Amino acid sequence: MSCMTHHPRGLLNRFAGCALLVLLLVCCSAHAQNTDLLHSIIDRLSQHSAVRASFTQQRQSPALTQAQSSSGQLLFVTGHGMLWQVKQPYQQTLALTGSRTMRIDADGHMQPVRSERGINQISQMLQGMLTGQLDAVTRQFDVQADGSAAQWSLHFTPRQSRMAQVLRGIQLDGGNYLQRIRIIMQDGTQTDIQMTDTHDAGPLSALEKHALDVP
Amino acid sequence: MTQRNLWLRAVGFMLATLLLAVACAWLLFGRGRSPVQTDLLAMLPATERNPLAEVAAQRLAHANGNRVILLAANKDDEQAKAAARELGQLLAKDKVFASVTAELPPFDLQQLFAPYLQHRFSLLTEADRQALAQPGYDPRQALAQHINEPFVTGVGTRLQDDPFGWLQHWLEQQPWSRSPLLPEDNLLTAHRDDGSYVLVTATLSGSAYDDGIQRRALAVLDQAEHSIEHDHPGTRVLRTGALFYAATARGDAERDVHRVGLISTLGIALLLLLVFRSPRPLLLAFLSTAIGIVAATTVSVLVFGQIYLLTLVFGAALLGEAVDYSIQYLTARANAGSNWNPGQGLRQVRPALLLALGTSLLGYALLGLVPFPALRQMACFAMVGMVVACLSVFFLLPALLQTPAKPLTHVSVRGALVLQSAISRCVAGRRGILLGAMSLLLALPGWLQMHHDDDVHLLISPPSTLVAQEKQIRDVTGLGNSTQFYLVQGANEEQVLQREEALEQRLQAMTDAGQLQGWVGLAGMVPSLQRQQANQALIAPLFAQAGRTHQWLHEAGFRDADIDRLLQAWPGTPLHLQAWLKTPAATPFRYLWMGDEASGGAASLVLPQGDASNTALQQAAANLPGVTLVDKAAGVSQLFGRYRRYASLWLLAAVLLIVPVFGWRYGWRSMPSVLAPPVLGIGFTLAVLGYLHHALTLFHWMALMLVLGVGANYAVFLREGEPHVTHRPGAMYASVLLSAATALLSFGLLAFSSMPALQDFGLTLLLGIGFTALLVPASTASRISLS
Repeated sequence: MSCMTHHPRGLLNRFAGCALLVLLLVCCSAHAQNTDLLHSIIDRLSQHSAVRASFTQQRQSPALTQAQSSSGQLLFVTGHGMLWQVKQPYQQTLALTGSRTMRIDADGHMQPVRSERGINQISQMLQGMLTGQLDAVTRQFDVQADGSAAQWSLHFTPRQSRMAQVLRGIQLDGGNYLQRIRIIMQDGTQTDIQMTDTHDAGPLSALEKHALDVP
Repeated sequence: MTQRNLWLRAVGFMLATLLLAVACAWLLFGRGRSPVQTDLLAMLPATERNPLAEVAAQRLAHANGNRVILLAANKDDEQAKAAARELGQLLAKDKVFASVTAELPPFDLQQLFAPYLQHRFSLLTEADRQALAQPGYDPRQALAQHINEPFVTGVGTRLQDDPFGWLQHWLEQQPWSRSPLLPEDNLLTAHRDDGSYVLVTATLSGSAYDDGIQRRALAVLDQAEHSIEHDHPGTRVLRTGALFYAATARGDAERDVHRVGLISTLGIALLLLLVFRSPRPLLLAFLSTAIGIVAATTVSVLVFGQIYLLTLVFGAALLGEAVDYSIQYLTARANAGSNWNPGQGLRQVRPALLLALGTSLLGYALLGLVPFPALRQMACFAMVGMVVACLSVFFLLPALLQTPAKPLTHVSVRGALVLQSAISRCVAGRRGILLGAMSLLLALPGWLQMHHDDDVHLLISPPSTLVAQEKQIRDVTGLGNSTQFYLVQGANEEQVLQREEALEQRLQAMTDAGQLQGWVGLAGMVPSLQRQQANQALIAPLFAQAGRTHQWLHEAGFRDADIDRLLQAWPGTPLHLQAWLKTPAATPFRYLWMGDEASGGAASLVLPQGDASNTALQQAAANLPGVTLVDKAAGVSQLFGRYRRYASLWLLAAVLLIVPVFGWRYGWRSMPSVLAPPVLGIGFTLAVLGYLHHALTLFHWMALMLVLGVGANYAVFLREGEPHVTHRPGAMYASVLLSAATALLSFGLLAFSSMPALQDFGLTLLLGIGFTALLVPASTASRISLS
């Protein structure tokens, strides 16, 4: 009865979720794909259930005169989400759990950044995928793999016209670990995330467990 | 009375009957629309003190009344989508659907969001409001955080138009952004573990309660589903909408009417034939009943404008009571043998018939006092039917029954006599007192186990398959009907929106705490002007000095031309409700605004989503001026409960009303024995219901009122009739048993009806009439033992 509409916003606010989703999928799904390379990439990535890395995000937008850069640490936990801890040029910690985005202040106090329900649906899709359904991603994207298992690239092109109106494509590069994510929007905005010093996470702190809802 | 007089009266009565029959035929079939009301909600009583709440409930129930929601489900995504496309195409071919939506029309992003740009400084999410209100808010850092958001930024709005992301955040929390359905391959799709679900919606070209539309739409749907299930194996189609509920209700009621009507007619015919041994009494008994029912239908449609399914089913059962009057007259004729004189016979039964009619009318009149449209109609139907059936005995039957008849079957009279004398012996003297005390003792544990149920499902119990499908559709799509909503009223538009905001703050807190799935309200889409001004006031300090603002944006990397445009756009204009309601984005939500309907004020609806309890929803509205929770189901249940409690008092009152009547007619000493059979019958019925762990409902109590009426009839018939048939002992009780058997055949069959309310009704009557018929010889026992 409520929102019987064909608005595209539903799609758009899920977009951030989708990018995260692709990342999560690739990082953790151990399930077969049609190409051997994709299979072995996923196989390789899924050996790590929790990883830490340093990241640098570069963004070029037609609205901005210069490229924007931010860097910090990330913690990725399969099936739970990611802590995105920016150190430069400002300090901010975000918990991206698929179901919502929370801001965590210096005292560990969590505050919702957005109160929308939208990404909750992504979370459902996500849970489905993490239990072995690559379909969710292949329904939204055409996936192409190049390179070797030691140094590979995955290209994601949106299949849905509504998403293709905003997103041109996503590219992931990596070896043992995911090394780079590139997101190109139709308006020309490019986001390039480089990950270095990636390693298995080891034990999580109480705050990390709390933020990502890890038991 | 001369023969000529008898015929004159009969002809006059027949003419009046013909007129009635013509009127009835015209009312039922002569007009375009059938007066049979299949909308079960229409039967529900007005529960709200606030008349606008009733209007709102009606409006909400019908807002989507003509819409059909379908989901094509298949394990395989491609199959599900192909099936949905085909379903859409097949349905669109038939004119019974005014519109069918499967594939989405093309759209233009910018066109949809551009209108919001001029209001961008007035619309803020709660999170942004809180952030801006914090004393340490640093605009430079906020800008940096927005343009460096992980993964993507500036989706939906261009970054230079919305550098802080306020409008983007606000648009993201709009209800249309929160639909669980994603556009995929131009279809609205949801994915679950068991496969893909694709939405197809259709709008009927007429009312879902229109008989013709119902049949045609269902035929087209069934055929379409059949062919897509064939073309795309493994596809399931889930459906929901008022159409399906109305069609099922009609089908069930028709089946009940046919079953109850047919079986009781056949049973009664057989009984009458066996007892009177001639087809003429049978035909006349049916004629008299039929006239009663035609009159009852005509008057009900005239008074109420429509006839409820419940009334039709109940009407089919009324046969059994209306036939009693003719049975009494026919018995008198059979017992008179060759001395029969129709006029004298009439004088002989008249007091009994009038007394019986009086007690029945009293019972039904009490039923008519309940302010339920459906119950009032049943009462009206019954009273008219009874009066006319009784009149037909006075005016029509004497002319048609002038010749003497064969006496009643020997077996029936003999059997009745054996039973009557056995019962009379049991209840006479000390043995009777002992037996009475013992049965009361036996009934006591039953009474102690009585409990109550007032749930609305008594009147409306849709088949579980439809309910399950609706639930599944609601789970997958978030779409579905709700009978719970808030009515928000205020002096004007602005006050309504402010009051909605106060309510929605609490609802959001419940949502955050997981007590509620969410809510839909206008203030979430168009904030009050007060709120928009407050939003602007939060932003204002950032724009207070244009130079400083320019500098922040410039340092963040924005282009000077864009910054100038942004500064020129400040402060923009607030978003006005009336203007917004005219936009395409508002279409699905327009029904939430009740403005035009409220006299001397404005009003809107807020719909909570999810399964929150009535108490929790009530708490959310507590102490908020102008906010009322309207919960039709709970309201009806409360009303059921209230009237169930009254009904037990009414029953007592009815008994007390009969006491002086019987006392006057039979003397104070005999009065208890005439009254005892129906009263004990009621008591034993209650005990059995208690033993059966049957939760008592309003409908049980209503049936008990009828038991009192019918039971008193039997006592009266027996008591009044005995002196006239001293030459044939047992003949009068045989006629009473015949009446009881016909009543059991008709009312008793209601126990097998598909409506829980009628089931309760039927079972109670079955028990009550059974007990009373067995106890009724006690009313004459003292006289027999004296003589």
